[in-house]
This record gives sequence, C-alpha cells and structure tokens, in this order.
Amino acid sequence: MLARPGLPDFEYIKAETFQDVFDRMKEKGDDLKLLMGGTDLFVQMRDRGEGPSFLLDVKGLPGMQEISFDKKNGLIVGAAVTLNSLSSHPNLVKYFNVLCEAADTVGNYQLRNLATLGGNICNASPSADMSPAALIYDGKVIVESSSGERELSLDQFWIGPGKTALKNDEFLKRIQFPTPPEKAVGCYLKLGRSKMGDLAIVGVAVLAFPDSTLPAGIQFRIGINSTAPIAYRVPSVEEFLSQNPISDEILYKAAEMAMDISAPIEDQRATAIYQKKMVRNLVYKGLKEVWERLK
Amino acid sequence: MTLTESGLIGKSVPRTDVMDKITGCAVFVDDVQFGPNLLHGRLVRSPYPHALIKKIDTSKAEALPGVKAVVTGKDLTARLGLYLIDRPIFAYDRVRVYGEPVAGVVATSEHIAVEAVKLVEVEYELLPAIYDPVESAQPDAPLIHPDLGSYSVANFIFPEPGTNISENFKIRKGDVEAAFADCTAVAEGRFRLPPIEHVPIETHTSIALSERTGQITLWASSQSPFAMRDMIAQGLGISHSKLRVIAPVVGGGFGGKAGVTMEACAVVMAQAVEGRPVKLRLTREEEFVGTSTRQSLVSDIKVGCDKDGTLQAMELTYYFGGGAYNDYGVNIARAAGYSCTGPYDVPNVKADSLCVYTNTPVGSAMRGFGMPEIHWGLEQIMDRLAEEMGMDPVEFRYLNCVRTDDEIVSGMKMTPIDLEACIDKVTKAIKWDKKEEPTAPNKKRGKGIAIMWKAPAMPPNPGSAAVVRFNEDATLQVEVGGQEIGQGAFTVAAQIAADVLGVPYENVTVSTPLDTKYSPYEWQTVASRLTWSMGNAVKAAAEDARFQILETVADAWDEDIEDLTIKDGIVISFKSEREQPLDKMVVYGMPNDDFEGWKGGPVVGRGRFMPTYVTNLDPETGQGTRAVVHYTVGAQAVDLEVDLETGQLEVLNIASVYDVGRAINPDLIMTQIEGGAVHGMSSAYEAMKFNEDGVVINPSFVDYRISTFADIPRKIHGDYVETPIDDGPWGARGVGEHVMVQTAPAIANALYDAVGIRFSDLPLSADKIYMALEEKDKTQKD
Amino acid sequence: MGEIEIILLTNKKRKTMAKHTITLIINGQSEELVVPSNMTLLHTLRDQLGLTGTKNGCEAGECGACTVLIDGEPVNSCLVLSVELDGREITTIEGLSSNGKLTPLQQAFVDLNAVQCGYCTPGMLMAGTALLRRNPKPTEEEIQKAMVGNLCRCTGYQRIIDAIMEASRQGGAQ
Repeated sequence: MLARPGLPDFEYIKAETFQDVFDRMKEKGDDLKLLMGGTDLFVQMRDRGEGPSFLLDVKGLPGMQEISFDKKNGLIVGAAVTLNSLSSHPNLVKYFNVLCEAADTVGNYQLRNLATLGGNICNASPSADMSPAALIYDGKVIVESSSGERELSLDQFWIGPGKTALKNDEFLKRIQFPTPPEKAVGCYLKLGRSKMGDLAIVGVAVLAFPDSTLPAGIQFRIGINSTAPIAYRVPSVEEFLSQNPISDEILYKAAEMAMDISAPIEDQRATAIYQKKMVRNLVYKGLKEVWERLK
Repeated sequence: MTLTESGLIGKSVPRTDVMDKITGCAVFVDDVQFGPNLLHGRLVRSPYPHALIKKIDTSKAEALPGVKAVVTGKDLTARLGLYLIDRPIFAYDRVRVYGEPVAGVVATSEHIAVEAVKLVEVEYELLPAIYDPVESAQPDAPLIHPDLGSYSVANFIFPEPGTNISENFKIRKGDVEAAFADCTAVAEGRFRLPPIEHVPIETHTSIALSERTGQITLWASSQSPFAMRDMIAQGLGISHSKLRVIAPVVGGGFGGKAGVTMEACAVVMAQAVEGRPVKLRLTREEEFVGTSTRQSLVSDIKVGCDKDGTLQAMELTYYFGGGAYNDYGVNIARAAGYSCTGPYDVPNVKADSLCVYTNTPVGSAMRGFGMPEIHWGLEQIMDRLAEEMGMDPVEFRYLNCVRTDDEIVSGMKMTPIDLEACIDKVTKAIKWDKKEEPTAPNKKRGKGIAIMWKAPAMPPNPGSAAVVRFNEDATLQVEVGGQEIGQGAFTVAAQIAADVLGVPYENVTVSTPLDTKYSPYEWQTVASRLTWSMGNAVKAAAEDARFQILETVADAWDEDIEDLTIKDGIVISFKSEREQPLDKMVVYGMPNDDFEGWKGGPVVGRGRFMPTYVTNLDPETGQGTRAVVHYTVGAQAVDLEVDLETGQLEVLNIASVYDVGRAINPDLIMTQIEGGAVHGMSSAYEAMKFNEDGVVINPSFVDYRISTFADIPRKIHGDYVETPIDDGPWGARGVGEHVMVQTAPAIANALYDAVGIRFSDLPLSADKIYMALEEKDKTQKD
Repeated sequence: MGEIEIILLTNKKRKTMAKHTITLIINGQSEELVVPSNMTLLHTLRDQLGLTGTKNGCEAGECGACTVLIDGEPVNSCLVLSVELDGREITTIEGLSSNGKLTPLQQAFVDLNAVQCGYCTPGMLMAGTALLRRNPKPTEEEIQKAMVGNLCRCTGYQRIIDAIMEASRQGGAQ
C-alpha cells in the first residue's frame, strides 16, 4: 500500500569482473538487479515493498566511472559517472553544455552525487531530464553481454515508460556522443511545479549549429520529454526549420508543430492541454534563444 | 553575549535552545536511546475510504517469528476526543478513511513488523464514500457516524445525530434580509479549498512502555503532553497518575502534533507486550496519509454595503470537511463561526458554520485553526465588493476594519488592537499606490492586500502553570508545560523569568524534556497562546520567587522590601547600597548575625494563569458577552508577477505586519513573520489529492510540494505594532499562527490586480493560471 | 501462497542476506561494523552507532535532513548502502564542532537566528558546509541551487541563506 520504512532484504554483491556480471545475471535472472546510484532503485523498492534478492554493484568495474573525450572520437561516459561529475567536467562544459545544464536540474545537489547517467538512462523515465539532452547530441548506448558489445541509439534503447531494450544478460556499459558540429549552441529549458528540484512537467533541449548547405543556414535539433511514453526528437519539425529562412514566425510555427506531435497524458501533475501548450512555449523559447546566440 | 540588565523585555536575545540544535545534540523523540528490549510497531491500515470490517485474521501475522503481539480494536471500544469523543484507537466495526489503523503489529525489528503487516487479513464490505462536505451535509447523505447521538460531547458543541453534521455554529444577528434589501452593492461567491498538510520535517513518532505495575510511559513528538495524557487516560479509563507523557524536542508541529494521532495506538500495542518499550514511527508517506490535516472548506459568502461602502450585511455558510473523525474539527467550525465575518465591523450577520464528516483524513488543528480557511473567501469577496463600489481595496478596509471596542459578530467588544496601523505599515512597505513595471516583457505584475484576525480557540478555562527553581550557583531552572516547537516558547519563558528576577538571561535554563510527571500543567501548545498564557504563569512564578528572595534579604538587612531590587543576580538596596549575591543564598538562605540561626531557604517560585471571563454563546444566535480572550490582527500585502508564457507566479515582495500587544523578543517575532509568509505562500499551492477511491495519490515530497529555497519571495518586509491587552505579560499576545492566515487570499487579490482573473478555488498552479489566461484571452477576442 | 510458504520464504530470504564487515571513518574515528546488505548509512549512523544528529525525514532523497558528507561531498545518507562505504570518510553534524568551538557557519546560524524547530538544521549545516568548501563566495542563487534539496517548514529559508553568506564573509566553512 504505502512505501515501507527502510529497504527490503537483499544481498549486496560487488562485481569483480565483467564475466562475474554475466555469470550472475544468467544464474539469478529476474532475482538480480544491477546497482548504480540507487536513487531510483531504492525509492522504487521502498514503494513496492519488495525487490530482487540480489543487487550487483557494477560501479567499480573498469571504465564505468570514466569520462573521456577527444574531438575526433567524441565523448565516452561510463555508465556509473555521477551527474555532478558529468556536469562539472571541463570537456562537457565546453562541448556538451546541454548535458551539463540538464544534469544540474535533476533533483538536488546531494542526489546528483549519487545518481548516475547510466542509471538514469536505464530507468527510462519519460520525464528524465537527461533524455532530451542526450537525444540532441545523438547519444548512443553501448551494452555488453557475454557475447560482446552492441550499440543502440537512444530511441532504440528506450522502448516504453520504464522499459529498455536490454536483454536478460545485457547491461549498459557506456554512453557515447559524437563531437557536436562546430559552433553548436544549445540549452535545456525545464518547467517544473517548483522553480528547482522538481520533475519536468515539460523539458525541452535545443541544439543549433550553422550549416551552409541548408536553406535556413542552421540545423536545429530538438529533444522533448514528459509528453510521450519516451523522450523524443521531432525530425519533421527539424526538417521544416532547416528548409526555411529563419524568422520569428517560422520558429513559432515550428513550436506549434512540436506541440501537435506531443502526446502528453493528464495526471495529477498537469493537465494534458497545459503540457501541450508548454511544449509549444518552451520549444519556441529555446529556438529563439539559440538562434539569438548564433546570430 | 552577556545580557546583564533587566529590561530584557523587548530585547532580541538569542534562542535558549540554539546550541543543542546546531551541534546535533538536541534529542528528538526518535533519538531517545532504548536498550535491547526495544520492540518495533507498524500499523495495518485500511485500503478503503469507507467500509464495514467483517473479519480480521491476525493468526498468520502472529505466527511469524519475531512478532510479539498483534493488536486490534476488537476488545477496545474506547473512543478518543477533545470536544467530541468519536474516534476509536483501532477501527473495529468500520473504517471511515483510507489509511485508518485497523491493527497494530509489534515485532523485534521494524523489518519483521513490515512483513507481519502484510500477513494480517482483513475482510471489508465496502460502503459508499463521500468526500465533499456540501454533499455530506445533505439529509440523504450516507451516514458516516450512525451513532453520533451516543457520543460524549462538550457542552458548547451541537452535533446533529442522524446526519453527518458534527457541529453547526450559528450566528443570527440583526436582520440580514432587511439589511441586504437596503444595500447599494452586494457581492456573492463560493470559495473552495482542499485539505492540506502540516508537513513537519520530523514525522510523528512515539514510544510507549507499559510496565507490569500498570505504569505507562509514552514518549512522543507532542505539542501538548498534558492533553495527550488526558485524552488517552480518559479513553482507556486509567488514572492520570498512571500515564506519563514525555515530550522531547519537537521537529515542527503546526498543530498536527497538538492532539493525539497514533500515540494511543502505541500505548495499546505496548500494553500487549508488557515490560518492553514499543516504538511506532511514521514514514513520510504515512505522515502524508495517516495524520490529521487542515480541513477542506466550501464557503458560500454574500456581503453587502451601503452607498458609502460601509458593510451592512453578511450571510454565509461554511462547510468544513471534517474528515473521518471530527474530534478537533468541531471546534474549528465553532471558531470559524464566532469569527466568521473576518476582521470587519458588520452589524447584520446570518451565518452557519458546519463541521461535516467526510471519508477523508481527520481534519484537525492546523496553523490558523479555521482562519486561513475562511479568510481565503472573505478577503477576496471584500475586494470584489470594493471593486463594485469603485473603491480601492485599502480604502475599503480602512473604512470597515474592526477597531477596539467595536461590537463584533459574537456580540463582544473588540479587545485592544490597531489594525489600521498594520494596514498603514504594509501599504507603505509595498508602495501600494505605485503601479510597478513588471521585470520582463512576458510578465504582468500586481499587488494585493489582505487583513486578518484570530482569537485563541480554546475552552473557557485553559490553564498554565509554571515553577522557577534556583540552583545553588544561582542559575535558574524554569519549569513549564508549554512546548517549544520552533516558535521560541522556551526563549520567551527564560527571558521573562530572567527579567523579573534580575538574573542574567544566559543563567536561565528551561527544564526539558516536558514530562507530565515533573512539568507544571499547560493546557496545550496551540492557539498562539503561550507567550500570553504561559508567559503570565512564568511571570507570576518569577515574581513569587523574587518576593521570597527580597523578603529574606529585607528581613536580614532590616530594610523595606520596596527599597530592594535584583540586578545582574545581585540583590541591591537603593537605600543602603548593600549588596547580596543570589549565589548560594537562593538555596541555603542567609545566616543571622553571628550565625545564630538562618533565614530563608530554597527559593521555588510558582505561578499560574487561567482566564476567568470567557462566557457561553447562545446556541441559536451565537451571541454572548465574551466569546474569546482576545484577538490578534494583522495585514499582509503582496507584490507579484505572473509569467504569461508559463502561468508561473513569482512573489516579489510580501509586507507583513501584526499587532502583538508587546514584542517580548522582536527578532523571534520576525522569524515567525518570515516563516509564516513562506508557509502561507506555500499553502496557496498545496493540496492533498485523492482518486475516486478516496486514496491519497500524492503521499510524498515529489507530488506534495512545499516551498523550497528556490521558491521564496525576494523580499519579506516584516514589522509589528504594539497595542497592549490588559492581561498579557507587558500586554503581549501571540502571533505564531496569524502570520500565515491571509497570504493565500493576498496572493489571489494580487493576481487579480495583475491579470484580471479571480481564482476562487485553491490550489493555485501555473497550469490553472495559464489556462485561465488563455481562456480570458479567447473570450476577450470573441 | 500458503502461510507456511510465506514464513519459509521470509526466513530463507533472511538466511541468504549476507552481513558485511566494514570500516567507516566517521568524524575522524575508525569504526569497525557489521552491516546487513540492505542497511543504509542513515540507519548505521543512527541505530548502530547512536549518532542521532543525522535525521530521517523522508527516506527518499527529497528533504535533505539526512545529509552527511562522504569524502567531503554531501549525499542523502538514506539512499547510500553502508556496505558500499568501506574505508570511506564520513562527516556528520557531530563532527563539525568540537570542544564547544563552532564553525563560522554554525556561529552564523546562531547569530542570525536561522534555527527554529531544529530538525532540518543538521542537514542544512552539512549541505551548507560542503557548499562553502567548494564555493567560498556563493551568490544567493548559487546558495538556493545548492540547498534546494534541504527542506525547511519553519524558517522560510531567508535566514539560512543569510547565514551562509555571513559565514562566507567570515572565511568560509572551516
């Protein structure tokens, strides 16, 4: 009924090797979950009053907490990198500022010392702040199983609210982002019920960079959360924007198109119609902001 | 900082409890250490809002290793209540709200107790549930308390058996029909607000120990240990001397810890495991679901004025959603009744203030005790009436606000206040006459004002007692029964004692924790009454001790007691300039010459205070000589902005001024004003949310949002005025609740000024505001 | 599921629940402890070590009353497993002041009357201390952002912001 005090019983195991992880996942199946920051998992376990018998801590495995970047290969973020580590990393601040902006709006400072990017992405909440930011940077997830690695785009990885394409014997190792094009500017706009610290009622990430091959001269990328089963890009809107000389009216029209695509559900947090209007208003605001900065 | 002068009254001395709190030494009830025999309790709660209990099977739970007892209401027909004794400790024949305790499990660990709760099997037969107080007040509504007629009830509460109405307070004054007929302008409206929660950061927690001798000790996070003892002792039929309540530091109360919530459950559970203490601690989710709330209210208000704008008539009905049990709620409806007009002089009033059972959490005392609920509608309707008359809202209030000695709605004469001075100060601080530019092009800005009044809502005879006791080194122990809940009660007590006795403030300690075994009696820590009532008792106790000291010294020096005083802990004679330090003398007395005998002895001062002049009110008209002890009044003005793109509100400035009679500790008053303004602002956004099955769907901080660091107004301008009452210490009275009473309607009035839309229902939200703005835009274009 | 199965399953789960021996360095003192897997640092501090200054407000990472420092960084101790902290340095409210000497931040809380009921105060002090250590001269907005995870129902927050600013003027968090 109500969340229980404290956590249900489980056994904590610290993974020693990747093979260790595959073996145990195979052996225990659904009775084992991987432990990252725990900020979502523990709250869920309290809410449900039960959980897996085994939590396997993979945070200490090689590469899981590493951030590496070079302009040629782009950014690699280990799945266990905390949101505070992410948002304060100089290369992210310089080249992936929207990831930093989005990370800084998640929860509160204490939580961000525990919450990880990988955990956040695997939690697959429709309202996750990292999702629109990761989408506009064309993030890819690298998952690994005993048979090796495979790569998925984020829209392949998220298949529904709280659901990922991870198979029973797979886990998320790292998230990769290609270096954004030259002179890219971006922002993350979040509307919550409180000024800070809330979930996103609507969150919009916008990236823009010059592209002289386009009639508009600018390519926009727009990522939106909370208004569909998973966070999403709006390729038709991005296409529309790229084909027309940019003006205030065009930006507004694009925002309206995004609004029409959005499919929010009504819940205790906001009405559906308000969420739709806010998609429009936030997309418009984000587009204007990056356009101004590019001028 | 050493404050060695008497003349501490009016000084912003540092809090007496601050060191404990900033070092982590302060002991809250969950911090009290028990030994290895401590057991843990969990409550089995009803998943339904209204149902008969057909069967409870505890056998599986009892069989779980580690479970020591499972308790139900089966053999426990005791009921609890203050004014209306309607609440069982554990539901036994029916449940009346989602989350109501049906059984209690006691186990060797909280973990095992959690598992055992799942094993208790309860069979329910659903009954129709009713959530809206107006619906529930109708004659054909399904009865929530069919036995209402059999409940004991205080002689000033009038339930209506055969209905869901637990109290109907009436005002019939003058002739409203005739008065309305002559009114130049009339405004009418319905206003609604949902239940909201206290949300103390410390959840309710209690530990109970029932010894084999029958002696029961109850540790609880409690505002009112004596009331807790009284209610539980009466409910269980045991002597007050057999039940001891210890109330350590309280992590926030706001009225939610004023009575009994789950503490009686802990006592009953402890009785089942004699000799072992049982801890019952509510999780945050249980705090949201299973503790009392502020009542919901639907108010229908009609108000009229003459051609000059002077109020002539008011007709209103208040439907308070009292929740499943109305043991406190009935007094809220009553208090809302005898103050139903708000702080206005209205000669003709017809009012019905009802407390109505609903299948929602127990409605109870929350900061303001009915006043925030009614001012939400009152202060908006006054603005509307002013607008009808083409009057400025401030001008309207100057014309109509209540003044000292006015005959108010219950027929008594208004006690000393100066509401006009409060209005003066806030309008100046907020620059009322200046139309301010919004801070950005996508924003609209507006200002609003709201005034308030409140009287302590108490039975006619609530008493305070105090003792002051010297240690050998002339440091002083002050013993009271009034609880420190953050408002500064202990500091004021220490300050008053130090001032009267002429001892350094930092030499005074308030004896804690409160303990009904040792502490002097205090009716309750509610109603903003401690500074006034407990303050009077402490003052009397200190004066008693002072007299004992001076009498001994006067005798020893063969001088007149009038020529002596105490300063900085030393008795001084104005006449002879002789000095006698209090050190040692306050316990050992003074020797005669040549040590031929001794005078004096241990100095123990005692004092008490109880008002003696509150009278009955006529049950049909609500009229009486003296409904309440006194009123405190205040004004708030708000300057805010609306973001037209999102509907978000930002409060830029709140000006908040109250008439406190006498400011014993000015900075403590400021802290109440600041905290209250933010609490009041938060209350405009808060709401308990239920689904169609009566289940609370926002029992966490994620979805029940309270103001955070990021939400506070940019500026709070706080101030006070001092119009003394004749029976407060130096004229002082309390202000702890008043500071949040009218913030929500002040915001609503400012919102109207900014965007021309009135919101008659709480909660406000950006969603609501934005959609209303779009709607207004549309209708204007059409 | 029958009653016997439930009891056996519960017992079985308890039997398989491992206990771990760990060493925590708390306020400079080494403490060797045996902890079950599912015990959070909050409960280890309060129930195993009797360090009750750290408070339980929500057990969901929302209210900040349980804030402690791990290797100097503020975290919600209600969401951290003790078993993961072997060898780590933990600072709680009990470790801020010693011998009656308050830190500048604690003194500022006293001087500016930034405490009412006191329940949120340890968490505020820990989060505020961490903020001043990483940002000795924060703006008001930076304070709001750093502290938004600490809820208070009594004070209205302004005094706490003022106290952090005052401590910053007095030389920070040492």
